[in-house]
Amino acid sequence: MLEIKNLHVSLEEEDKEIIKGLDLTINAGEVHAIMGPNGSGKSTLSYVLAGRPGYEVTDGSITYKGEDLLEMETDERAAAGVFLAFQYPIEIPGVATMQFLKVALNSQRKARGEGELSTPDFMRLVREKADKLNVSQDMLKRPVNVGFSGGEKKRAEILQMAVLEPSLCVLDETDSGLDIDALRLVAEGVNALRSPDRAMLVITHYQRLLDYIVPDTVHVMSAGKIVKSGGKELALELEKEGYAAYAA
Amino acid sequence: MSVTLLKTPAETAFAEAFSAQGPLADVRKAAFEQFAETGLPHRRMEDWKWTDLRQIISKALPPAAGTRADAKAIDALIAATPFADVAKGRLVFVDGTFDEARSTAPAGVEFASIAEAGSDKLVTGSTDPVAALNLAFMSDGAALTFKAGSNVDAPIELLFVTTGAEAASYATRNVIVLEEGASATLIETHIGGEGEYLHNSVTQIHVGDNARLDRVKVQEEGLEGIHLSNAEVHLAASAHFKDFTLTMGGRATRQQGFITFDGEGSESHVSGAYLLTGKQHCDTRLVIDHAVPQCLSRELFKCVMDESSRGIFQGKAIVRRDAQKTDGNQSSHALLLSDEAEFDAKPELEIYADDVVCGHGATSGDLEEDHLFYLQARGIPEQTAKSMLIAAFAAEAFDDVESDAIRDVLTGLAEGWLDRRKGA
Repeated sequence: MLEIKNLHVSLEEEDKEIIKGLDLTINAGEVHAIMGPNGSGKSTLSYVLAGRPGYEVTDGSITYKGEDLLEMETDERAAAGVFLAFQYPIEIPGVATMQFLKVALNSQRKARGEGELSTPDFMRLVREKADKLNVSQDMLKRPVNVGFSGGEKKRAEILQMAVLEPSLCVLDETDSGLDIDALRLVAEGVNALRSPDRAMLVITHYQRLLDYIVPDTVHVMSAGKIVKSGGKELALELEKEGYAAYAA
Repeated sequence: MSVTLLKTPAETAFAEAFSAQGPLADVRKAAFEQFAETGLPHRRMEDWKWTDLRQIISKALPPAAGTRADAKAIDALIAATPFADVAKGRLVFVDGTFDEARSTAPAGVEFASIAEAGSDKLVTGSTDPVAALNLAFMSDGAALTFKAGSNVDAPIELLFVTTGAEAASYATRNVIVLEEGASATLIETHIGGEGEYLHNSVTQIHVGDNARLDRVKVQEEGLEGIHLSNAEVHLAASAHFKDFTLTMGGRATRQQGFITFDGEGSESHVSGAYLLTGKQHCDTRLVIDHAVPQCLSRELFKCVMDESSRGIFQGKAIVRRDAQKTDGNQSSHALLLSDEAEFDAKPELEIYADDVVCGHGATSGDLEEDHLFYLQARGIPEQTAKSMLIAAFAAEAFDDVESDAIRDVLTGLAEGWLDRRKGA
């Protein structure tokens, strides 16, 4: 599903290389975790996958479902099934959550040549998914993420993911700022989306999240590269020994 | 009469056309003399430094009243009002003249032509040269009286159509009176055709004790039209005044609001939005006079400027010595969609009382890149995402409008503007 080869990424504004030759392959049905210390380039990787402006790919390639991901616009990537759950979801005053979700879903469907969903069908879909994630009707009435608590924002991200049904889910530090109950709820939402035709990339600093979202493969990222890969037990090892051994 | 200052072609045309005859001759004569003292306001006058009418009105636009447009053109412009289904009564003015046949009498309100209103109502003590020019040449307008205790919540529309069939100036004047405890919703729509013209509009408003007026103005003058307007508002005790203006039309617009609190415990909420493009120019000047204690005033303007358009917001609050417990706040926010667009804000506070809460704020900027990225990352194409963010920005100013039906019309107008922008 996703094949990253020798990826090099710099910040556009300053001449600073953040990702320095990263290789990663994720097949459909797999859940991969990337762990690593702050500043290792984990979030940059998630932004480059989603297509955030401000990053320059200086070398290497990203192939998604056989296509050159880097040639696609941000919205085209989303329509093709790439979803980034933001570490810090953006507040957008004045744009109602329901309207945002509806325009997003129907834009994606239109780009894929599918028919747009009618308002009643859309409402039913959202309500059903929102109930499972304990997202209240009141939250859906508010502008996107405005006035949401940290936990509410993360639940809203997972709700968007559930409604949009992407093929590649990138979760950037989805555990940060969550208490244990919220973490469990979010993890349940994510696990419900695991399927043989869906891949997930879970980026996290702590092992805790991986107790709930159990990965097939764990990678350690340091100084812009993947320095070690292993099974889920690697996460436990890291929790015990810390990242010191992988410092740049 | 001193006419030495009247030297531009436009000023000369006004001087040549003026004759102090007929009804209200004395009132008109005094008004024209007042205008002649300054002539058209120009950039060396502090309040007009961004809007130089001597330059904007570059050629003669002699005063006129009555239309030369054909009936079909007039009907098409009238049909363009976005409030066709919302307004329950409509008074139509075409090229400065009341068009009774095309109007629908509103219920529950006394209506008279402005000519019947009498000089005692028309002389307001305004020192504004544009308002004086209006009084000197005014041809028609609505005098509406909402009787004490009456409740006319079905919106009444005053529709001003300027056809542009003639390169001329039109002056209309309205006197709106809400007696004690009355409440009303009033829509003022300005629609123009192609061609160069000037529409000078004055609306005098008196909101009585415990009375309430919701006023919504939509300005869609023709793109060669010049729109000058003055609202002179007096609020008695415990009165409520809500005013919203959407400016989309006109080559150049200068709109002024003078709001005076005459009685205690009153509230004034004045808000507005600009949707400007091309070389459009819109300058709003508000003067809120807290003459008495315990009143609240709010002003909020959301201004969207595309291409090389220019927006200006000047808000002044005066808090007199006795006006303790005044609560006043104004803010203007600009969204600049092009490098050539420009916005200037000038907030002014003149406070002579010591126990007051007053504030102001102004921001100006581009669309937030983070917002745009978030929407695009969910699959929303860039142009759609931009339109959503622009609509959300402008809509904050609509929130104050009480009527859902009117708010829906405003939202539709903004969407139409955004669709035309997307198509461009």
